[in-house]
Amino acid sequence: MVKQPRGLTILNYVTLGLMVLATAMVFLYAPEEAVMGQVQRVFYFHVSSAWVGMLGFIVAAVTSVIFLRTGDHKWDLVSLGAIEIGMIFSFITIVSGSIWARPIWNAWWTWDPRLTTATIMELIYAAYLMLRQGVDDPERKARFGSVYAIIGVISVPLTFFSIRFLRTIHPVVFGGADPNATGNFDMTPKMLQTFMFSLLTFSVLFADLLWHRIRLGKLADRVETLKLKISQ
Amino acid sequence: MLALDVPPDTFSYMLAGYIVIFGVMAIYLISLVIRHRNLNQDLETLEELEDKEKKV
Amino acid sequence: MKAPNPLGQELKPQVPVVELDIQPVERVTLSPVSAFFRTMIAVLWKDLAAERRSREMLSAMLVFALLVILIFNFALELDATAQADVTSGVLWVTFAFAGTLGLNRSMAIEKDRGCLDGLLLAPVDRSAIYFGKVLGNLVFIWIVAAIVLPVYSVLYNMNLFNPGLLLVILLGSVGYVAVGTLLSAMSVQTRTRDVLLPILLFPVVIPVLVAAVKASSGYLQGLEFSDIQPWLNLLVVYDVIFTAVAFMVFDYVVEE
Repeated sequence: MVKQPRGLTILNYVTLGLMVLATAMVFLYAPEEAVMGQVQRVFYFHVSSAWVGMLGFIVAAVTSVIFLRTGDHKWDLVSLGAIEIGMIFSFITIVSGSIWARPIWNAWWTWDPRLTTATIMELIYAAYLMLRQGVDDPERKARFGSVYAIIGVISVPLTFFSIRFLRTIHPVVFGGADPNATGNFDMTPKMLQTFMFSLLTFSVLFADLLWHRIRLGKLADRVETLKLKISQ
Repeated sequence: MLALDVPPDTFSYMLAGYIVIFGVMAIYLISLVIRHRNLNQDLETLEELEDKEKKV
Repeated sequence: MKAPNPLGQELKPQVPVVELDIQPVERVTLSPVSAFFRTMIAVLWKDLAAERRSREMLSAMLVFALLVILIFNFALELDATAQADVTSGVLWVTFAFAGTLGLNRSMAIEKDRGCLDGLLLAPVDRSAIYFGKVLGNLVFIWIVAAIVLPVYSVLYNMNLFNPGLLLVILLGSVGYVAVGTLLSAMSVQTRTRDVLLPILLFPVVIPVLVAAVKASSGYLQGLEFSDIQPWLNLLVVYDVIFTAVAFMVFDYVVEE
């Protein structure tokens, strides 16, 4: 078993430390929000998760382009890892967003542009994984994944804008809630600091998880190669 | 908007939110660990097989 | 040594040996542009000719489209006064679903009959093949639209022969087919095949659906052009971006 590189071990500790600190800030340092109450605290990690979800997608798209141009398989490993992690955090975003919405707007779902786009992104992620699963040849699997990642990423901003424009001219009315509700609130300095720190923490978390996932991918490749060698 | 003296009690929702956030992250971490362990086991088994084949 | 045949006769070579007097011939080299267009048109023509003979794909798309409209009639309880919003929605859902049928079929034919491999062996720019397929798919979807529109007009007492609506169908179909052709080229090479295409295509083609439905509805309601224009802009932007990207990436999808 290959031992963890020292850099990764250090990163693990840094990530853990940051997470503990960020959590402490969220629960102890940031003040309670006047209008929404305690549930507003979900916002810090909810938006940070959304950020990681997007980051995963962007990283995957960039490494996909690099893979297509260079043919170096390592880049595809990064793409796959980034997509997987992005998918997990997009899921966290959607569910935590829904839970946050419930007491505020009296509805589990709001069809607002951000939440809707996040869901569509999640579906694109899932489609990416299904596409890869449907191809047996590893080289083609990587190529197809890369192509779809590129197409998917480019579509997301367009999707977001189209839905946002849709909502500005047709505000959503549901229950007894304010049709123009966007979940905005005024952030005091302490809230802003907590928020920025959460973003930073989650970015580091992404890097840490991605490194681990890439190592896992390399290990999987070694096993596959060995399987093929032995079966010959 | 009513001017409330006390913010509404939305504690349970916050709790639910954080259970999801940490819960899903934990599940993913555990899945990474399990997959790593399984692959390492596979690797050991395969390397043993390879050695046996070489001896044959 | 010549092998004797069963009758004991010596086999003579059947091919007469002729002395050829070969003169160097002036080679007319096609400019890359014209080779590109010839390939594209050739691919398009092949698809049109094949479809004219068998008519499998068009009839399937057409019957499917009409069935979808029928189902919507019962699902949404559309009556003769169906509103413009609902009409646009129904139309575009119909096109989206019937479209996947056509896209799947179009690529499956290439793969199953080995046409794709043949095309790929030819020393032509791969993207010419891509554009040829796109044009073919567009023609088929337009034919379906040409039949669906009058049928819908009759069923719901609406005049759908609105030039604005036709423009939207043009712009929307281009975006849909540009991405759909690329993705179908991938999905046809997977194990899950037909099932995979909608899963890949629909999330990515949502801007087209949103913009097309709003623009169509706008034209049917007779809204001001300034209200409709942003949606048309979005369609054009999508078409340009994705046609360019698909064209650049197509090579990677069909290389062996």
